[in-house]
Amino acid sequence: MTDPAPPAAPDPAVPGPPDLGHTAGQAGSFPTSALSPVVTTYPVSFTGSAGEYFRLWIVNAALSVVTLGIYLPWARVRNRQYFYGHTWLDGHNFEYRANPLKLLRSYLVVGALFGASTLSQQSERWGWLSLLLALAFALLYPWLVAQSMRFQAVNTTHRGLRFRFDGSVKGAYVAYGAANVAATLSGGLALPWAWFMQRRYQVNNLLYGSARGNFRGDVAPMYLIALRGVGLLVGAGLLLGVPAVVALVAWLAGNGSDLDSMDWEILATSGVALLFVAVAYVILIALNGVAWQYVRAATMRYVLNNAELGGVVRVGAAFNPWRVVWITVSNGAAQLLTLGLATPWADIRRNRYLLEGMSVRAIASLDGFAGAPGGPESALGEAATELLDIGLGF
Amino acid sequence: MPGLNGPDQAATDGLSAQGVFFDGRSSRDHPATLLLDGDQVRVRLGAQTEHHWRADQVTLEAALPGVRRSLSFPDGSRFETPDDVVIRAWERRHGRNRLLGGVRRLEGSWGTALGAVAVTGAVLWGTVTFGIPALARQAAAVTPVGVLATFDRETLQVLEDQNLIAPSGLSAARQAQLQSAFRDVSGWAGGPYRYRLLLRDGEPAGGGGMGANAFALPNGTVVMTDQLVALASSDRELTGVLAHEVGHVTHRHGLAGVYQALGLSLIVTALTGDVVSGATFAAAVPVALVQGGYSRAAETQSDTVAARFMLERYRTTRPLQAILARLEAQEGGAGGGPDLLSTHPGTEARIEHLRQLEDAAR
Repeated sequence: MTDPAPPAAPDPAVPGPPDLGHTAGQAGSFPTSALSPVVTTYPVSFTGSAGEYFRLWIVNAALSVVTLGIYLPWARVRNRQYFYGHTWLDGHNFEYRANPLKLLRSYLVVGALFGASTLSQQSERWGWLSLLLALAFALLYPWLVAQSMRFQAVNTTHRGLRFRFDGSVKGAYVAYGAANVAATLSGGLALPWAWFMQRRYQVNNLLYGSARGNFRGDVAPMYLIALRGVGLLVGAGLLLGVPAVVALVAWLAGNGSDLDSMDWEILATSGVALLFVAVAYVILIALNGVAWQYVRAATMRYVLNNAELGGVVRVGAAFNPWRVVWITVSNGAAQLLTLGLATPWADIRRNRYLLEGMSVRAIASLDGFAGAPGGPESALGEAATELLDIGLGF
Repeated sequence: MPGLNGPDQAATDGLSAQGVFFDGRSSRDHPATLLLDGDQVRVRLGAQTEHHWRADQVTLEAALPGVRRSLSFPDGSRFETPDDVVIRAWERRHGRNRLLGGVRRLEGSWGTALGAVAVTGAVLWGTVTFGIPALARQAAAVTPVGVLATFDRETLQVLEDQNLIAPSGLSAARQAQLQSAFRDVSGWAGGPYRYRLLLRDGEPAGGGGMGANAFALPNGTVVMTDQLVALASSDRELTGVLAHEVGHVTHRHGLAGVYQALGLSLIVTALTGDVVSGATFAAAVPVALVQGGYSRAAETQSDTVAARFMLERYRTTRPLQAILARLEAQEGGAGGGPDLLSTHPGTEARIEHLRQLEDAAR
């Protein structure tokens, strides 16, 4: 049995070829090599069912409502436990085990701060308080993200070993502070670079036992993904927008309006123009949502296909980002039409599609990972990121 | 195996389950047998090794449908088994996971799931229809008058800055008449508020202003536009409108609206699970509908106040009905375009309500 965990973890700040030569007796690079080690592919499977999860979800939702929200952390943990517990790899499932009591305390803190911020917005005398809270949130955001990832990792167990996240606070301020500021200042041009920094920070600081994650990805593919997203937005916008404007002009001409002396004020107040603007607005929002969903799915796929663990395990994702977009959009429609009752079905459907196409390839047996002691963790970052819906990409 | 605990007491109450053991130091899975016997928890690996713990040293996660059970031990090792029946028996015997075990049983049947749908729906409906308005009313009632004054000042400031209102073009004599009518109404209503009537031009820019309108601010400031005064065919109609606005003041509808919006946003946050979804389009429509419902309830309540005043003074509510109908006709005629959020049935219902109040007084 070889020990796949490197004695000294590769430096996450130095991207480059993965450090694979550390294990005695295993020469060459993975996966193609002259003395190719045996590569085993383990498919990931998901055994959750929509009916079973619906019952779990609705009972826990009812308990949350009846207890005026006190039970909410327990419900959240249980929902997540269901998904982790039904995700299998090589005959073993994952386990999520967060302390709901800890989460409750953090939820209360975050909820109180949010309430104070909303209330103080209403009055001029206390307006500064909401500004102060927003500023504090912006300053603490990278730290909260790091805390949240620490919490999620340390509460995830597989094959008796915990995941861990040891990203430094400084690293979080670079990836989630400086990179986001640069993305904003550059008018979005640096945004794909920020995604790259963030994903690298996430993967390179993730540990399973003592085996460290390594992100082999690059910046350029992130820009390609972003370009495809923008292309979709512009292309679909033109495809829908040009005929719409032509139709509007034709309609006006047909009604006897003289285009040269068109009274824009009357046009602006007329109901048809208003309806037109409203419909265009809704379509634009929907297109924007679709583009974002594509970018999210494509980034996730790219990151998963370029992540490895301890130099011996690679993740592979086969899902199609466009299919994920379709699933997300149709899920949203189903949830809207059923007043939210389709949420469990939608979650299971999306999760199943993402996971069924996923596999893990390893040159060593999956039972050869070594454990490492974990540290204490705070639930505050988790509560803040979850309540404020900060997308962490996974 | 070495008899550390004396003779093997796999007695009648002993339970055993097959599963896997992880030592917490590596990811290797060891096939193992769990032996549960009284206060003792033993994990047997093959024929050689056996680990011993007391029941109180064992952490047992609550059951989830279809997920294997896991027991973890103080040294970081754990045992996982699909044998839920055995673990459940041990769980019951040692009084573990009583609450979440109960939750697990509720999750097991479609009957309770349907019940949960009904309970969730009923509680949400009750909260939105009765709970939030009642809480908002309470909160508005205990809000100090000093806060109300701030609202009045700030709202007027905004309206003037945005050029929505300007000084009135009515003659001094006409203004004095209306002020005297307002003093009559506000004296009748009473309360700790600083009542004042502001007559303003509602279309200072020639168009695009608020037009024929009247509204009340929380601390008793009532604004009525010249356009509404022009629309009225008698002062009784205007007095009716003023009584309606004063009703908004005494019932603190303005402030209650602020609290209701806050309560609704909390509900949406709890339902969607985050704050940002509350601002999305999907959430905006139901929120707007619910808020429309709240404001219709407030209008009805203020109409009742106005009707009480008018029946006392004039023995009829007809002037208010008349001006409401005229306002409706004017809005319907001028707009022309498709009005998605039409107030039309609302106005008809209000006139009918005023008529009924008058009939009831006879």
